[in-house]
Amino acid sequence: MKLLKLEFYKCRRRKIVLVCAAVLAVELIWMEVFFARQDAEDLQWGWMFLLYNLSMVDAIVLPLSVATLTSRSCELEHKGSTWKLLETMVSPNSLYAAKLGWGALVLATLLIIRSGLFLAVGIAQGFPGSIPWERFGLFTLISWTVSMMVYALQQGLSLRFANQAAALVCGISGSFLGILSMLFPPALIRCVPWGYYGLLSLVGMDWNAATRVTRFYWRWPQPLDLVLLLIWAAVFLIVGRTLFVRKEV
Amino acid sequence: MNIIETCDLCKQYGNALRVAHLDLNVPEGSIYGFLGPNGAGKSTTLKMILGLVRPTAGDIRVLGKNMDQRNRLSVLRQVGSLIESPSYYGHLTGEENLRIVQTLRNIPEKNIQEVLQIVRLDGQRGKKVAQYSLGMKQRLGLASALLGYPKLLILDEPTNGLDPAGIQEMRELICALPERFGMTVVVSSHLLSEIDQMADHVAIIREGELVFQDTLEALHSRSQHHLALRTTNNAVARSLLAEQSIPCQEEDNYLLLPILSDEIAAQITRFLTENHLGVVRLEERQKSLEDIFLELTGKAVSL
Repeated sequence: MKLLKLEFYKCRRRKIVLVCAAVLAVELIWMEVFFARQDAEDLQWGWMFLLYNLSMVDAIVLPLSVATLTSRSCELEHKGSTWKLLETMVSPNSLYAAKLGWGALVLATLLIIRSGLFLAVGIAQGFPGSIPWERFGLFTLISWTVSMMVYALQQGLSLRFANQAAALVCGISGSFLGILSMLFPPALIRCVPWGYYGLLSLVGMDWNAATRVTRFYWRWPQPLDLVLLLIWAAVFLIVGRTLFVRKEV
Repeated sequence: MNIIETCDLCKQYGNALRVAHLDLNVPEGSIYGFLGPNGAGKSTTLKMILGLVRPTAGDIRVLGKNMDQRNRLSVLRQVGSLIESPSYYGHLTGEENLRIVQTLRNIPEKNIQEVLQIVRLDGQRGKKVAQYSLGMKQRLGLASALLGYPKLLILDEPTNGLDPAGIQEMRELICALPERFGMTVVVSSHLLSEIDQMADHVAIIREGELVFQDTLEALHSRSQHHLALRTTNNAVARSLLAEQSIPCQEEDNYLLLPILSDEIAAQITRFLTENHLGVVRLEERQKSLEDIFLELTGKAVSL
């Protein structure tokens, strides 16, 4: 807990709030522009339409956002050569866990605010039907879990390489692959870590080629996909932590 | 009692043995100078002592306890260190940097002000460290190492990159530590003159191997006096001196003789002149510490 508090202390003046505000602003602007371009027929799908598109926006915005946050947290240690100081006081395992804990809390806060913001957007838009509180809660949890899996990958890279370009390039590639993977068949999406934002979406879309009508429907994540997500996360955690702990400073 | 003991300590990178079978003994309460040319393995050795680098072979005992992964952190609670360049968070102030160490070490908050005064940074505590000069960063690093008033302080080239005034200031600070706080200080350097002015015990390593370890006094005692003689014909002079049972050896156009009394020196000069040899130089010489360092390390004094 002490180490976790120190992570927040160390991130003073690192403009973390500004990064989070930028993420929210990008998602909000994106969705507002998107809604403005839809006709009334599409908007009648209301909450389903919102959650479907939000998972798509997540797949684009969150990989790079997560990479940026991880980089902000790890870069300060490389910049000041602080590993050799810290590791005389705490174990590398604890350091790794503290950084991960910091990321988990920042992302949880960011995604809860994000969900609150889009609930407000949905209400303001006057979407029909009752507010799907449970779906929104679950959607937030899924976004957070997928983001944490990506965070574990990014933290491994950010800790391993002093030059954060490698981690940021991975984040940019992730954003690209995240959205691109939504066009892949499900078996292939499962091989792309950033594709899980779309794969675990709570809303499915069915487009009828004959009638040219789009239909949205509620769906639940497949247990196999959840297991695969946890396996990806475990792999990134174990490999990232092992590489960090073994690294001599 | 020795505060640090290493036994057969080795570190291998690839096929190169960077630290080879090192047996260091650092007496408690001493200022222990760890000397060697750049790349000799000083930093690697100090990092191994701190558990930052895993030894390939050998044992390390610090404060009477074996340094292993199990008790490393508990031993290091009584050890302060400054390895290579200072560690700092540039976006935080000096005081905030020290607060991180204070929190991690569970040290009373008042120590922060005390150490800032010791290193004379109390006037700059609210300034971001990124705006500090290198000397100030080094002093902040020292403050961080001193924060818990450890029994043992390990400083790796603490004067690197400092200007002459900064070097003198750092040296004065280090020299005062054993008396003021009862600390043992291990300080590494590639500059013999620096260690000569600070340490009372010295270890010299060359290419990872220990070539000298004793008191500074013992190192000084190696600097023998001798006479250097140059004549118009050194070869003939040498054979004449051998007849007189005076041992000598030739080096750089000089004959090196042991220290002789004034009377015998005068007799020899007369003797050589009587044998038609001109004495053109007769000097008393002393081997400097630099010469000894050069002999021991096979390298120039500072590389």
